[in-house]
Amino acid sequence: MKRSELCSRRKSSVGIASSLVLPGRRTCPQVVLMEALSCGERRLGSDEEYAAPAVGVSLCDSAPLVWRMQDLRAVRAQGLVGALLGSLPRTPRQNGRLGRPLLLLPEEEGLLRERRAAAALPDRCQQDWGGAELRQKHEEEEKKSFEEQSVLALEDRKLALLRAMTGAESGATSADEALRRRLQALDQNFTFPQSAMAVQLSTARAGLSYCPEARAFLQAYGPTGAEPRCDARYQVFRDLRGRGFYLTSAGKFGGDFLVYPGDPLRFHAHFIAVCVSLDESVCLLDVLAVARLGSNVKKTVLLCSPGPDARVCYTSLQWSGMI
Amino acid sequence: MSGASGGEKRPPPNWILQHPAYQQMKDLQIEDSAQVHAAFLVYMDLTEVRRWKEVSCVKSSELQVVLLEAREKEGAPTLTILPLPAHQSVTHKSIRHVLDRGFPVLLCAVAADSTLVYQRMTDGLVTPDPPVGPFQDMGRRQHRKRRQQR
Repeated sequence: MKRSELCSRRKSSVGIASSLVLPGRRTCPQVVLMEALSCGERRLGSDEEYAAPAVGVSLCDSAPLVWRMQDLRAVRAQGLVGALLGSLPRTPRQNGRLGRPLLLLPEEEGLLRERRAAAALPDRCQQDWGGAELRQKHEEEEKKSFEEQSVLALEDRKLALLRAMTGAESGATSADEALRRRLQALDQNFTFPQSAMAVQLSTARAGLSYCPEARAFLQAYGPTGAEPRCDARYQVFRDLRGRGFYLTSAGKFGGDFLVYPGDPLRFHAHFIAVCVSLDESVCLLDVLAVARLGSNVKKTVLLCSPGPDARVCYTSLQWSGMI
Repeated sequence: MSGASGGEKRPPPNWILQHPAYQQMKDLQIEDSAQVHAAFLVYMDLTEVRRWKEVSCVKSSELQVVLLEAREKEGAPTLTILPLPAHQSVTHKSIRHVLDRGFPVLLCAVAADSTLVYQRMTDGLVTPDPPVGPFQDMGRRQHRKRRQQR
């Protein structure tokens, strides 16, 4: 691809970088997650690095989910994007930035299986996870943290009073006296309320799971069985991934896949892939609709069909420019 | 047409049926008359409206349709045009047949009101044109906008 094309199609990354640099509220956890994932991809380099240990895939009904950080990195390193589903602990009430688990497309799961790079994790409910021990450990850690924080809070309060004393005008001796008395009383009377305590949420643990009630709820809305066109989609997915493209689902554009020339974090999609079998009859109005949509969003519509000799043929639809 | 006073007036002959180009297409013996009609409308558009050069009609025996071949202007490459009524269906296989002829293909959908829509079809993956600059990095402006909205 020409360098000028690369530059013009690359997403502005300065916005993301600047939010990483700024402290406090601006640090977006999900962006950190995504950058960590794509950094893993750059380090591992070419696709020959399948020697990495297998990725653990948890099945929720038939939806393949990836929970652990190292697994997410491994999945991304193989060029598979997936879709994050979970909410972030610090920013739960939004849908712009999501966290783990990562939902794999059926084609992505199929590709991992084919490369023997994935293994189903055992069903959580059956194993003894030592829930009681975990809880006890958590409570002990919380207590320790509370004690540390009380000490620090007391020191903070003393410093604040001292600052108030030295900052006060020299004339107001009575105010000074009152402050000194408060300082002396602080050691006895100070209590650090439980509600003011800062709680640390450890999200990097490997043992993430959902409780049985949530699992039952999710089962009720499990995805439907295999669609008749699923094989065509898989062939197309495998072929395009083999050519180095990154693919995500294209529900927003009425197609099957969105095809990116590189990592979706860095590029806009070039193609909307619509997978049909060679003999499948498509209404011409549908072809026109998807082609028009593609030209409106500056993407080429690709009609993809797996051919008889395990090759896939592609037809690009573009606006003719003839009004 | 308004009726004349008195007896019935014979309707004028259908000019399409008498047009030499239409008769040429008829001679190709395609059963789908709707497709032949669509092909004729595209022919008229290319020759009279857009004034393309060397417009000719060809039969595709695998698909049993009339195809048109034309050049946009002198010296331009030949294109194959596939005219189809808009309500019909098409398979990827038939599109590949037309592409196999070796020329760039234009699919033309003909609606019931004779509106014509042309789509270019090419084999392989054609990268779309990049968006036109100049580009301005949104950067913090989006953050600021969102905070103000809150």
